[in-house]
Amino acid sequence: MAKVQVLNVAVLDNPSPFGNPFQFEITFECMEDLPEDLEWKIIYVGSAESEEYDQILDSVLVGPVPAGRHMFVFQADAPNTGLIPESDAVGVTVVLITCTYRGQEFIRIGYYVNNEYTDPELRENPPLKPDYSQLQRNILASNPRVTRFHINWEGCAERMEDSENVDPAPNAMLPPSCPAGKAPSLGLMPDNSMDCL
Amino acid sequence: MKLLKPSWVNHNGKPIFSVDIHPEGSKFATGGQGEDSGKVVIWNMAPVLREEDEKNENIPKMLCQMDNHLGGDDKLVMVWKRAAYIGPSTVFGSSSKLANVEQWRCVTILRNHTGDVMDVAWSPHDVWLASCSVDNTIVIWNARKFPEIVTLLKGHTGLVKGLTWDPVGKYIASQADDRSLKVWRTMDWQLETNITKPFNECGGTTHVLRLSWSPDGQYLVSAHAMNNSGPTAQIIERDGWRTNMDFVGHRKAVTVVKFNPKIFKKKQKNGSSQKPSCPYCCCAVGSKDRSVSVWLTSLKRPLVVIHDLFDKSIMDIAWTLNGLGILVCSMDGTVAFLDFSQDELGDPLNEDEKNSIHQNIYGKSLAITTEAQLSTTIIENPEMLKYQQEKGPVEHHNAADHETQAPKLTSVVNGESLEDIRKNLLKKQVETRTADGRRRITPLCIAQLDTGDFSPALFNSVPILPGSSMSSQLTPQLSSDSNTANSLGLRPASDPPLAPQGKAPDAAAESSVNPLGTGAAPAVNSNNIKPNLLLTSAAKIEPMKALDSRFTERSKATPGVTISSSAVGLTMLDRMKDGGPLKDPKPKEETSSDSEDKMAVTKLSFTKRKGEVEGPEVVEKKKKGRPRKDTKMTPVSHAVQQVTPSLEKETSRVAAPSAAMKLPTVTLQKVFSLQISVESSVFVEVENEVSTVGGVRFSQLRCTREGREWDTLLTSRILTVAGSSEVIAVACEDRTLSVLSACGRRLLPAILLPAPVSALHCSGSFVMVLTACATLSVWDVKKQVILVRNVSLLTILSGTDTTVSQSLLTQQGVPVISLSNGRSYCFNSSLETWNLIADKQDSLVQCADFRNFLPSQDPMVSSGPLAIMQGRTLNAGRLASRLSSTPHHLQQGMTLAYLENQLASALILRSSQEYRHWLLIYARFLVNEGAEHRLRELCKDLLGPVHKSAGSIWEDTVLGLRKRDLLREVLPVIGQNLRFQRVFTEYQDQLELLRNK
Repeated sequence: MAKVQVLNVAVLDNPSPFGNPFQFEITFECMEDLPEDLEWKIIYVGSAESEEYDQILDSVLVGPVPAGRHMFVFQADAPNTGLIPESDAVGVTVVLITCTYRGQEFIRIGYYVNNEYTDPELRENPPLKPDYSQLQRNILASNPRVTRFHINWEGCAERMEDSENVDPAPNAMLPPSCPAGKAPSLGLMPDNSMDCL
Repeated sequence: MKLLKPSWVNHNGKPIFSVDIHPEGSKFATGGQGEDSGKVVIWNMAPVLREEDEKNENIPKMLCQMDNHLGGDDKLVMVWKRAAYIGPSTVFGSSSKLANVEQWRCVTILRNHTGDVMDVAWSPHDVWLASCSVDNTIVIWNARKFPEIVTLLKGHTGLVKGLTWDPVGKYIASQADDRSLKVWRTMDWQLETNITKPFNECGGTTHVLRLSWSPDGQYLVSAHAMNNSGPTAQIIERDGWRTNMDFVGHRKAVTVVKFNPKIFKKKQKNGSSQKPSCPYCCCAVGSKDRSVSVWLTSLKRPLVVIHDLFDKSIMDIAWTLNGLGILVCSMDGTVAFLDFSQDELGDPLNEDEKNSIHQNIYGKSLAITTEAQLSTTIIENPEMLKYQQEKGPVEHHNAADHETQAPKLTSVVNGESLEDIRKNLLKKQVETRTADGRRRITPLCIAQLDTGDFSPALFNSVPILPGSSMSSQLTPQLSSDSNTANSLGLRPASDPPLAPQGKAPDAAAESSVNPLGTGAAPAVNSNNIKPNLLLTSAAKIEPMKALDSRFTERSKATPGVTISSSAVGLTMLDRMKDGGPLKDPKPKEETSSDSEDKMAVTKLSFTKRKGEVEGPEVVEKKKKGRPRKDTKMTPVSHAVQQVTPSLEKETSRVAAPSAAMKLPTVTLQKVFSLQISVESSVFVEVENEVSTVGGVRFSQLRCTREGREWDTLLTSRILTVAGSSEVIAVACEDRTLSVLSACGRRLLPAILLPAPVSALHCSGSFVMVLTACATLSVWDVKKQVILVRNVSLLTILSGTDTTVSQSLLTQQGVPVISLSNGRSYCFNSSLETWNLIADKQDSLVQCADFRNFLPSQDPMVSSGPLAIMQGRTLNAGRLASRLSSTPHHLQQGMTLAYLENQLASALILRSSQEYRHWLLIYARFLVNEGAEHRLRELCKDLLGPVHKSAGSIWEDTVLGLRKRDLLREVLPVIGQNLRFQRVFTEYQDQLELLRNK
């Protein structure tokens, strides 16, 4: 049984210019006093092609966490544009919020992020080199993808090796506005993708 | 009989293992499989019972989903409670977007089973909860004091798959895969009978074996039994546990038997001559053969048998409270409802008639007295009658009062509304840097778990953005779907569904306006966003798929091991050096103006990161005053998170070392609340200067104890409050100390303290005050005696910079002070001495090795005052094992000294459980190391003189424990070492002798 339940994540300052810091207001509930801090991270996926371009925007410790309902705002700087492949700057990518306890990730919250030019001119003819100052970041806040992992809350990671093999819920999701024709067969659809149909 | 299969009751096709109807009858729960874990769903009963309710879309069908039973973790029993004051909310991230109409919270997790739990049952009167498991055991939990275990019933040699309580509470019966049904007595929790004969032929296994006891208590009916190679449900008579009858007819094993809670009598027919008929019971039987049969004990044949209702085995049956309907669930993931009429089943006896049956059979002592019956009890004392009558209107008044006040209270934390707090959360939240330079945020506690007073206004998913326009919040919703109709259908759920909540507080009302007020915005926004998204997503459909995996896979880039932000900075620098995507910055900068911007950005982040790397030095200083683990040590009366700087912390940190003897005073706060007693949840809220009447200001103290509330007014501003289950002490700004009873009566006129208060504690009837002049006093306010009279802390505050870091009062009234130098002292009032009870730097602690002598079953006593002051000593042996090169005699000496220290400390703290704990460890150690002299002395003291002479000063108890009982516990330990045979027999004989006297 997970000791920490994430109840809500509100995406603040959204949409916003590309260079603005990310702000997530996270509300979670904790079943019992946690002796250790929680560690939260924001990861920006620079390119769909490879994890190599993932950037950890920041990580914070959150604690002390007594039993109860808590909230905090996690703010992290915008990604380092120098590390984003130019071809991936504009378009849809993903930002992830993860939380670990005693070194084990137990929840992963993903959002699609759409980066686009606000200027219609630029949108029609995007410059070869992305102009980040003109880009707007829009996080699809209504559509968080939450994956929960089963971890050992009492001990540390070593003891939970077997849990690595526990498959999370099948979460093969669709992009938020996929054309109906391209939807995968129904059998593959997880229940929590109903809103895409 | 009517039959209904409500298709909407399902777990998305996954099996449903269990079903139960709420005692109140308005809802029912199903347990089964969820996505990747167990899942419990609470459903509304009304749509099952009435077709018009089923069709009415305003009546919710699903009330709550509880998804938290994670797979693989299922050795737990979780007890859930409906949480008051929470508005509907969705399960975050589940895009089914079905709001949980009711909120249920897990209040306790019961851990003891080592395998999956198969069945649970509440005892009559809800005194106990029983759970049985594939670990072959049954655990009886104390339902009044979770997670306390009453007893463990061991004896089954197979998976225990069903439980049922005797309706009069004398027995509990269990059925297991070991082909036995066992009946246990609740008086001594011993086996009453073991029935095996009807189960001898049982081969193969069923998922469950849910047996049931008849409501009159006369019959127990088993699940899967065999008679002449045919599957039956065995009827066991209470009288002599005879097994002469059974329910026959099912073609496969019986999985579940469930008695109707009502006892029936024959329907009176008009005109026919009335012979009073014998009352009878009614029973539903479900089987692996997918059919359900319903039996009346007055008939030889079943009342009804329903075949082919399900595709798979029946898993559970539940009767409605009125006894006229059953819910049946199956492995195939569906539920059926059978609705009977009184013509079919008979006239149910009312509670009084049922009780009189119980009384006739079992006598008054065992008969069940219900709440309903209490209300009809005749009040025999006229005085009592008067009070009862007075009570009536007052209660009504209170209820009304409560209703108007509740919302105000819940939406406010520390005098601020949650909406206000959310607006400024980022600015206000406490962020520090740890020693290694990492950011650490202290989350804002918005609700205590045990109060149930969750804020209703919070969990709508609309963020509150001080600067930005509302339209931005709506864009995601629009872009999520191109089908308007569909998105409209989804909207109500994703919007804050506040409407159903009748008494929405102000804040909620405010936020519920938002969606309406911005209703016009979508059109504008949808135009510029939707087409684009379509474009980009169409073009990027492949990469999107690649992205999807990121949502579910634990990334390699984010290993569990924590990466400090400085390290992140470094890796980024490394990547840049390596040439990564940004090769050589300089030539680029010259070539195009476009890249100039980009460079500026990277440079910026470069320097910033660098700053962070070098940062720790500066940051460290800031951090010094805040030891991280402070809160963990907080003693009995600890401040609730709502108090921004907790009082204890305050005392430890603000202390000015220069003013040698002055302890910090408590700073005045306008409003604060405290949890003053952990075991019984008692909360105190203080509001200073709450009202002014003609220039006179009052301070208000409101106390909530287990749901009951009282308040009192004081003239001076309140600095701090402490309390126990018996008294509450209030220290005010004008140096007065007021002592109130648990219900708020003043026990003493205000006591004037010699100096302002620095710390205040209560425990039992003891009150302890630590003043700013570093003097300590302890009183027993009940006996009205002083235990510690203004004793100076001068003795223990020897060093120049030591100060009090923590103070507490044990339940026996012993004051304990722990200092910033890691030492803790208690004051012994009979010797008038300060005694050192804990020293963090003590090398004995680190070197003593007694791990081998720790009791195996007994969990480490962790709640006693000694354990609190010393922290966890379980690590103690850790250093010891590394010191294995230490000569044995030295290690032995250190361990001995350490254990004797512990024993003496527990004694002086009057902590009897800890004393017993350490005594047994000590005895084991002595026995193991062969320290005969010490062992003899110990036994001698425990035994005392066999022949009591007048001059004997031997006390037969220590800390309320009988010494001879302790000796009885020590003796088996002694018996383990053959060397001490003599000692063993010597003391055993003497104990025997004493017992016979």
